Amino acid sequence: MSAAITVDGLGVSFGARTALEDVTFAVPAGAFVGVLGPNGAGKTTLLRALLGDVAHSGRLDVERPVAYVPQLSHTQDAFPIDALGVVLMGTYPRLGWWRRPSRTDREGARALLDRVGLADRARTPFDELSGGQRQRVLLARALAQQGRVMLLDEPLSGADARSRELVLDVIAEQCRRGGTVLMTTHDLAEAARVCDRMLVLNRALVAEGSTEDIFTEDVLRRAYGGDVLVLDGRPALIDDPHHHDRSPERLPWSG
Amino acid sequence: MQRALLAGLVLSVPLGLVGTWVVLRALAFFSHAVGVGTFPGVVVGLGVPAIGPFLGAAAAAAALTATVVGLERDERVRGGAVTGLALSAAMAVGAVLLTGAFAVATPVEAVLFGSLLAITEADVGRAVAVAVLALVALGIGARRLLTVTFDRHWAAPAGARVVLVDLGLLGSISATTVVALPVVGSLLVSGLLVLPAATARVLCRGAFAMLPAACAICAAEIGIGLALARELDAPPGAVICAGAGATFAVVMLADRLWPGRRGSRR
Repeated sequence: MSAAITVDGLGVSFGARTALEDVTFAVPAGAFVGVLGPNGAGKTTLLRALLGDVAHSGRLDVERPVAYVPQLSHTQDAFPIDALGVVLMGTYPRLGWWRRPSRTDREGARALLDRVGLADRARTPFDELSGGQRQRVLLARALAQQGRVMLLDEPLSGADARSRELVLDVIAEQCRRGGTVLMTTHDLAEAARVCDRMLVLNRALVAEGSTEDIFTEDVLRRAYGGDVLVLDGRPALIDDPHHHDRSPERLPWSG
Repeated sequence: MQRALLAGLVLSVPLGLVGTWVVLRALAFFSHAVGVGTFPGVVVGLGVPAIGPFLGAAAAAAALTATVVGLERDERVRGGAVTGLALSAAMAVGAVLLTGAFAVATPVEAVLFGSLLAITEADVGRAVAVAVLALVALGIGARRLLTVTFDRHWAAPAGARVVLVDLGLLGSISATTVVALPVVGSLLVSGLLVLPAATARVLCRGAFAMLPAACAICAAEIGIGLALARELDAPPGAVICAGAGATFAVVMLADRLWPGRRGSRR
């Protein structure tokens, strides 16, 4: 099977700090890859490098177009836009930014909202949706980008059970259609359940391959150190409170 | 009066369009700093006829914008510290110049709050030019501005040039501020950028709906304010902004008293 993503000797630095060093891997088309690693391991940096959003060394070859779901905390609170408007943003790059979305584009955006279980919320202001619903709207926006490759940055973080299932269903369908998905997550158990490949980082590549080969105590201990427990023969991560942090914009007293 | 009204109505276009993004990007403090930052430039321009108040204001606005953009990249002074510093320094320098090196005939309140008599044919021409520029630039850039404002982490990889969008918006704020000075003055010009758009924000559900609404509200407030200013023999900027502030207060109060209105969020 041909590779949808090929990374050879990737390095990213922010000033004197090295975020990623000599990362090399290839992802076959149609794969669902879980990107794992502790906080600061370079998971988001890897996605940004694949998007061409950060300066890097090494060679990157990514099948275009690339769709992207950033962390929910990056969206602006209280912005006057409804769910349909957010999904339509996904059509802007394709339309060339100045052409208005057509009736077909709007119908397509509504169909995508239906696909993520939010058909009845098209006109609901984005800031009135729950966290899980917002995640699903951002996923629908990424689907509207019609990318061959989809990159998701912690799409399950803070989402309720129904939203998690819907997000994972949509991703699985995307892969069945030949799309390639990379998803960063802190949820090792969920990643082991749904991803067919894993990529483990800790500023460098710790391991990459099929889930059954990678999801082992040895590999995870190399990435997470002593934070890994083995329960009933299955590795698990001692909960890291940092990934539950809310961004400063979302603090209740910030308005 | 007719010239002032014409200039004011034309100005309501860039004030409403640019003001909408000022409100959505939370740039009210920056826009106030640009307005006040023109004060020393206007004083120098009035004292040196070869420069003139327009060029003086434009140079001062550009200098303040460049200072804020340049220094706010330093994380140690982020969060408005540089903007506040530049604002205070500009006001202080303007006051020193006015009382010292450049004793000008124009009353200081005309510089700070605008004057019906100060508006020239050239001011109207500049207002038309900036209105057309704002329509073109914000028309072409509307979707980029929307995506960058809502989610800049997604916008950049999706193809929006975030730095260009930011600089374009800051430039639009500076240009609109400079051409609006003769009508509302350097101290109150930010009020007319922010208040009509903030009123539109309360009334409208979508960002794009805010754009024409802010322009219409601004035009009405300028028209009524200029008429009242003439009747009261008061500085137009002060009367217009007082009316704009009262309008915002009434709309906000009504929104609180009758919840469920469009655009409301608590």
